Amino acid sequence: MAGRDKPGGGRVINHIRLLRAAADGMTQGELATRVGVSRQTLNAIEGGKYAPSLEIAFKIARELGRPLAEVFEFVER
Amino acid sequence: MLPSFEERSVWVQLIALGLGLGGYFAAAGPMLARGVMETTPYVAVFAVSLVLLIGVMIAGHIIAAVFGGTEEEDERDRLIGWKAEARSSWVLGLGVFGAIGALVFGVEGVWVANGLLLALFASEMLKLALQAVSYRRGV
Repeated sequence: MAGRDKPGGGRVINHIRLLRAAADGMTQGELATRVGVSRQTLNAIEGGKYAPSLEIAFKIARELGRPLAEVFEFVER
Repeated sequence: MLPSFEERSVWVQLIALGLGLGGYFAAAGPMLARGVMETTPYVAVFAVSLVLLIGVMIAGHIIAAVFGGTEEEDERDRLIGWKAEARSSWVLGLGVFGAIGALVFGVEGVWVANGLLLALFASEMLKLALQAVSYRRGV
């Protein structure tokens, strides 16, 4: 689980790493290719260093076969 | 994990610009200090530094592509580029206003031209440095 501070007093966290493991151990490279970003960008998203656009977030959720809210969530500080 | 091609490209540009235009100013600075006001010597030094800059840029990108491959720019690369541009463009703006002011006060054209080039150089170096930092620390 990783996240990044947002100006609104909360942060977006994600469960991509866990869900990749649950999805037959899909690698970071495989998911990055399917979503259309570099492996380094997917690594930054997983590590909470980059909050992706809605388009990429939806693509990640679709490739993991999960609803968006299961992959990303907003937590109040 | 090896940095993305875009990040490696930023480092190549930083090094090429530092060597190329940095080398130009290392040579042109003492010339200005000595009071050389003809443009020909500066143009000659600039031509050499431009060749060096392009050479390092081409060689650096070939090496960056060979070691680690290439991938297309994605939204994170674009965001990092836009943010760095927005945070560094004031340097060039300052240089342009400075050059206009210098012309109004009758400063020698060689000084004005070098001042403008310095502003462009500083602005680009700041942009590339900010990009390099953003790749490491996050956007």
